[in-house]
Amino acid sequence: MSREGVERAILRVLRVLGLFFFVFIAGFPFYWMILSSFKSLQEILLRPWDLGLGKGSIDFRAYYEVLFEHGFLQYISNSVYVSILTVLLTLTLATLGGYAVTRLRFRGQAFMSYSILIIYMFPAIVLVIPLYVIFSRVGLRDSVSVLILVYLAQTLPVALYMLRSYFQKLPVEIEYAGLTDGCSRLGVIWRIVLPLSAPALASVALYTFMIAWNEFLFAFMFLDTPEKFTLSRGVVQLAGSVHLSKQLVMAASVMVSIPILLVFLLFERYLVRGLTAGAMKG
Amino acid sequence: MASLTVKGITKRFGQVPALNDVDVHVQDGEFCVLLGPSGCGKSTLLNIIAGLIPQDRGSIMLNGESVDELAPRDRDVAMVFQSYALYPHMTVAENMGFGLRMRRLPKDVIHERVFEAARLLGIEDLLLRKPRELSGGQQQRVAMGRALVRRPKVFLLDEPLSNLDARLRANVRLELKRLHRQIKGTIIYVTHDQVEAMTLGDKVVVMRKGMVHQMGPPGRIYAEPTDRFVATFIGSPEINIFKGIIEIKAGHPVFKGPGFSLGLGERGLTPMGGYVEIGIRPEDVTVLPGEEGPLLAKVEMLSNLGSEMYIHARLGEEPLTFQAAKSSALKPGDTLSLRIEPPKIHVFHKGRRVRTDK
Repeated sequence: MSREGVERAILRVLRVLGLFFFVFIAGFPFYWMILSSFKSLQEILLRPWDLGLGKGSIDFRAYYEVLFEHGFLQYISNSVYVSILTVLLTLTLATLGGYAVTRLRFRGQAFMSYSILIIYMFPAIVLVIPLYVIFSRVGLRDSVSVLILVYLAQTLPVALYMLRSYFQKLPVEIEYAGLTDGCSRLGVIWRIVLPLSAPALASVALYTFMIAWNEFLFAFMFLDTPEKFTLSRGVVQLAGSVHLSKQLVMAASVMVSIPILLVFLLFERYLVRGLTAGAMKG
Repeated sequence: MASLTVKGITKRFGQVPALNDVDVHVQDGEFCVLLGPSGCGKSTLLNIIAGLIPQDRGSIMLNGESVDELAPRDRDVAMVFQSYALYPHMTVAENMGFGLRMRRLPKDVIHERVFEAARLLGIEDLLLRKPRELSGGQQQRVAMGRALVRRPKVFLLDEPLSNLDARLRANVRLELKRLHRQIKGTIIYVTHDQVEAMTLGDKVVVMRKGMVHQMGPPGRIYAEPTDRFVATFIGSPEINIFKGIIEIKAGHPVFKGPGFSLGLGERGLTPMGGYVEIGIRPEDVTVLPGEEGPLLAKVEMLSNLGSEMYIHARLGEEPLTFQAAKSSALKPGDTLSLRIEPPKIHVFHKGRRVRTDK
C-alpha cells in the first residue's frame, strides 16, 4: 500500500473510533437516563445493567409522580417563565445597547464598547455571596424576579458582544436608505436591522435560554420557597430527598433536557441562514 | 421638485477636514454633478444634504428654506447608493414601496406608483424577486426605482453606476439622461468619472480636498478650467502640461519650455516672474506637412483606439500626447512639424489660470 493509502486508512479508523467514543460518552448517559425514567424502582434495583426495556414495561408512573406529587408542574412553569422573560429582556436590551455602541456617537462610546466583556470575566461564584447578602438585607432574595435580574447580568455581556459584532458587519448604507425612506432610528432598528439580524438574534436567544434554563447556583442560593423553584433547583431537591427513587430523578432530568433540545432544533435553522446575501454589490 | 442651496458647509472628521466652506446652488430641475477624486468630500456633502451626517457649520436649504433641523426622513430627499443598499429581506416591490409605506400612503397608490416606476425602468417582471436573485444592473434599476416612486424634492445619487461593467454603464448613463428629461427632477449626482460628469451634468462642480475648484456647465469647465487641477482632471487623454517661463521676444510673449519654445500670440501676457505652466489639450495640436518648422516633435508610440488615434511624442524633452487623423501613416521615429494655435493654450501661474484678453 502506498504511504498515502496507509495514512488514509489510519485516518478512517481513527475517525470511526473517535465517533464511537464521543457518541458513547455523550449519548450513553442520556440513553440510560431516558431508559431508567421508564422503569420502576424494582427493575432498576434488580437489573441495573439491563439496557433494554421489557415488553409492555414502559412505565410513565415516574413522570406522573414527579409532575403531580413532587411539584414539578410548578417548577416547569417557573423555569419557562424565568427563561422566556430572560430571553426577551436580553434580546431587547442587547439589541438597543449593541446598536448604540455600533452606530451612535456619544461620549465614552469606545470605552463602553470594549468594556462590555469585562463584566463577564467575574466568575459567578465570586458574585453569588455578596449578592446573597445584599438581596437578603433588602428582603428581595427569595424572588423569581431577582433571579431574572441576576441572569440578565450574566447573559447581557455576551449577548451585547455577539450582537455588536453582527451589527458592525451590517452595511450602514442600508440603514441610511431606511432613514431617508422615512424611518426613525427605532424604525430602522425594527424594520431593517432586526430582520437582517435574525441569525444573530437566534444565537443569542438560544444561548440565553440555555443559561437561564440550566442555571443552578443562583437558583440554589436565592430560592427558599418550593413554589418558586426552577427545574434545576427542583431536581436537586428531589435527588436529595429521603426516599431516593432513581427513576423519579431520571424522569425529572429528562424534563430538564428535552426543552433545551427542542429549542435548539427550533432555532438551529436560523443560525446558519445568512440573510444579508444579496444586499450589497461590490 | 425644488431648488437646493448649500451654503458655507464645513465638516471635519476629528482633525481631518472633509469639507471647507462649500457653496453650491442647484436650480429646480437641474442635473448637478459633484465631480472629484476619491476623498474629495463629495459623498460627505451628499450625506450632509440628506441629513445623514451633521455639518459643523453652514446651512442646507430646499426651496430657500433651511432644512438643517430636519431629520433625514422629513427632508423629502431620496438617495441612490453606490452599493444600492437594497433591503435584502424584501422583494423588489416591497423595496420600492417602502418609502411610501412609511409615509402611510394608501395601498392602491403605492401599487400604482411602484408599477409605473417599474415600467419606466423595465423591471415589471422582477417585482416579486428578492434582491439577491437580481444581476447588478437589475439591482441598480431597483435602487433607482425606489428613489423614483418617492417623487422627492431632490434626488441624491452617490456613484450609482460605478459597480456596473463598462458596457452597461454607458447604456444606463444614457437612460439616466433620458429619465431626467422625462421626470424633470432636481438631481445631485456624485461621481469620480469625468465622462459621466460631462455627459450627464447641466452643471458640474469640480471638488478636491473639500473645496470647490470650479462650478459651471461642462463645456465651459473643459474649455476654461480655472486652475491646473481642473484642467488635468477633466479630459481624456489628459491635458499636456509643460513647465517653463514667459519671455518677451520682439514684443510678443513666448513660452520657453524644456527644449522648445512656443509663441503665445497677442494676449497681453507678461513674464509674471518665476515659472508658469501651459496646458495643451490633445485635440488642439495640428500636424503640418513636412519635417521643418519652429515646433518639432519625435513620434514615440501610437495608440489606435479605432475611432481615433493618439500619438505619444516628445516635444523638446517632454512627452506630448495629441490626436491625429486616423489615416495618417505615421510610425515611431518620425519627426513631425506641429502647430498649436495660441488661443488654445491654457496658461497657469501658481496653479491658477491666467485670464487673458483675447
